[in-house]
Amino acid sequence: MAPSNISHRQTHNLLLISKLLSLRDTASPLTLLLDSLEQPATPLIKEYIRRARLSKVHVTLIAFETLKPFDGVDAFIPARRKSPSEMLKEVGAVDSSVASNSSNRRRLILIDSINPLLHSTRLDKSFHLSTFLSSFIVPSGPAASKIDSSLVITFHQDVPGRPAQSPYAPQPLTILTYLATTVIKLHSFSHILAQKAARDRSLVPPVFGLAEEQDGVLLGRLDKPIGKDSAEGGVVLEMEYRRKSGRGVLEWYLLPPASRYPATQVKEVVTLLDDHPLYRPPEEVGFADGEEEPESTFELRLTERQRRDREGVVLPYFDAQQGSGPGEGGRILYDMGEEDDFDEEEDEI
Amino acid sequence: MPSQLALPHLLTPYVVSPPKSSLTVVSSVLGATGNWLVLRFLYAALGNSPVSHPGYGDPEFETRKKRRVVLVSFLRGWEFWRSEAKRLGLDLARLTEKRQFAFVDGLSELFSAPSASSQPAPKPQHYPGAGIAPRATLPIRSQPVPTLLRQPLPASSGSDGASPQTVREPGPTKRLHFAGSGLAALDTIEKEITMVIDELKTSGPGEDEDEPEILLVIDQPDFLLAATGLSKGIGATEMGEWVMGLQQAVSATIAMISADSPLIHNGSTFAHQAATPLDTEHAAFAVGLAHRAEMIMQLRNLETGAARDVSGVLRVSKGGAWGQREGAAENWEEKEVLYFVQRDGSVNVFGRGE
Repeated sequence: MAPSNISHRQTHNLLLISKLLSLRDTASPLTLLLDSLEQPATPLIKEYIRRARLSKVHVTLIAFETLKPFDGVDAFIPARRKSPSEMLKEVGAVDSSVASNSSNRRRLILIDSINPLLHSTRLDKSFHLSTFLSSFIVPSGPAASKIDSSLVITFHQDVPGRPAQSPYAPQPLTILTYLATTVIKLHSFSHILAQKAARDRSLVPPVFGLAEEQDGVLLGRLDKPIGKDSAEGGVVLEMEYRRKSGRGVLEWYLLPPASRYPATQVKEVVTLLDDHPLYRPPEEVGFADGEEEPESTFELRLTERQRRDREGVVLPYFDAQQGSGPGEGGRILYDMGEEDDFDEEEDEI
Repeated sequence: MPSQLALPHLLTPYVVSPPKSSLTVVSSVLGATGNWLVLRFLYAALGNSPVSHPGYGDPEFETRKKRRVVLVSFLRGWEFWRSEAKRLGLDLARLTEKRQFAFVDGLSELFSAPSASSQPAPKPQHYPGAGIAPRATLPIRSQPVPTLLRQPLPASSGSDGASPQTVREPGPTKRLHFAGSGLAALDTIEKEITMVIDELKTSGPGEDEDEPEILLVIDQPDFLLAATGLSKGIGATEMGEWVMGLQQAVSATIAMISADSPLIHNGSTFAHQAATPLDTEHAAFAVGLAHRAEMIMQLRNLETGAARDVSGVLRVSKGGAWGQREGAAENWEEKEVLYFVQRDGSVNVFGRGE
C-alpha cells in the first residue's frame, strides 16, 4: 500500500472514531457495543462518560445489571423489574429536565446490557425492539426537538438468547445489528496479539474463555505477570460505521488503558491498531538499506553492468522456440564480453 | 505446617472482605465442588482469629470488625454446613445464637407446603401421594443430591410436624417455600430472605451503632432455576433480578453456580446443536451473573486427569463488572492455583509445580 494511502486512512479514520466517541454532530444515533466476558465493555463505556463530561454532555445510564452508577453519570435509572414503557417514561422525565436546562443540548443514553430485556419472559407481544429503541432517540414531546440524543447499547455476545417464538422472526441480535449505525466489537489486545502470532506462523488461532469449551471454564483471561506495565492492556475496537449513504467504514482501533492518560486529556487517545508497534512491528532499520549478505572474502554481489549483461542473456529454450528445424534450436548464444577470457581448449572437448 | 491453617495464604486476599455492593461468583463443576471455598468465605468473615491481610476491597478496611453472614443454601441442608464448619472450628449453631450468622434453608421444604400452617407437613414416606401437588411438578432433571440429603432432615425434625423449627432447629433457621409461579413466587422467597437479613441487621450485640455489614452467600441458586424453569415463568432474567434484589439488601454477595460443560456450552453461542430450554436458561443465568461479578472464582478438574494429591484447579479472574467502581483497588491479581482438600477437611492451596 502506498504511504500516502496509509496516512490518509489514518487521519480520516482517527477523525471518525474521535467524532463517534465524543458524540459530535450526532454522528451515530445508535451505537451497539458487542462485548464478552473476555473483554467487557466497561473501559469503553468509561471512555464515553469521560468524553461526555469533557464536553458537558448529559449522561443517562439505564442499568439492567449495574447496582451503583458509574462516576460521571448524571441520571441513573435502575431497570430492574420495570416494563419498557416505565423505562421510557423515566427517561422522558429526565429529558424534560435536560431540556429546561438549556446549557447542554446533547445527551448520551447508555444501556449497560440489553440482554436481560431481550431474555425476559414478561415481554408481551406488543413489544418491538426497534420501536422501543427509537423512542429514546426521537422522543415525543414539545421540548424534545432541542436535544440530540445518542444511544449506546451493550450486548453480551456470550449470553445465549432464547429461540425466537416465531420461526420467521429474526434474532434480537440481528435486529440490533441491522438498526445500529455503528457496531463496535470489543477484543482484548493480548488475545488479538496471540491470535496474530499464531496466524503469522500459519497455526490455528487460539480461542479463549467460553469458546474453549472446557469444563468449568467461564473466563480464560489471566493478566500476565509482565502484562501490567507492558502495552498489552488495551482494548481493541473493531468498528463498523455505516454512513448515511449506506457505505460502511471498517477499521480496527486500540483504546489504551485509562491509567495511561489523564482524565482531562482532550487529545485523541485512540490509535489505529495497525499503528501499534506490538501489532505491526516497525520494519527493521537495517532491512531497507540493502540486503545485508554474509561477510566473506568473495565478492558475491553483482555490479550494475554485470546485472545488465545477465539480463541480456537469451536462454536456450527461447532460442529453441523459434523452431528453425530439428536439431537447430537450443544453442547457447553468448556474446563474449571483454573481460571474458576465451578458453581455447573448451571446443576441443 | 501450612495445611493446618484454616485459611491458606494464597487464598486469603481473595476471600477476605469482598468490596461493598459487589458480587463474587464461585463456579464449580461436579468433580470439583465449591463447599470448601464457601466455608473459607464463612471463616474469613466469622472466624475468631483476626485476619491481618487486607482484603481485595478497601485496603483500609479493618478486618477486625466482625461481619455477619447469611447463608442461603439450595443444595445442602443445615446439618451438612454445621458439621463441615465444625471441622474448621466454626460453631455455626453458637454463632446463630449470637446473631452473627443465619441459615436459610432452601432445600428441605422448598416445594412442600409450609409446615407452620394448619395442615401437617408432608412426610417423605408418601411421595407419590395425592395431596402433594407441588412435588409432582419437579422436573426429572433435578439432581439426585437433594433427594439423598433430604431424607434424614424431615425425619429428624419431629414427627408431629407442627412446629419443627422450635424442636430441632436452633436460632433463625428459615425454611423457604416455593409457592405459585413466576415473579410472585420469587418475590416471596426474596422477602423471606430479606426478612432474615433485616433481623440480623437490627438484632445484635450492639457494640457499635453503625449497621453491621452483612455478607450474603447464596449456594447454588441455579437449582431454583432448574427446578422451576420457564413453565413456572422463571427464566434467567428473573433469576438475575432476584439476585440483584438481594444484593441491594446486603453489603456483599457471593453466589455459587454450576459451570459444567453441558449446562454452559450446550446453550452457548458457540454450540451448533439445538439446546434445551434448561441449557439456554442456565447458561444465560450463569454467564449473566459472571458479567455482573467483580471476581469470578472458577473451580474445575485437573485437565491432565485425577491426581492423588490434587483435588482441582482454582482460577481467580476479574469478572465483567471489574473496574466499574471508581478507584477500585487493584491489590489483587488474577491467579490460577491448585488445591487439595484433605480427609480432615483442611485445604492446601499451592501454585503449579510447588
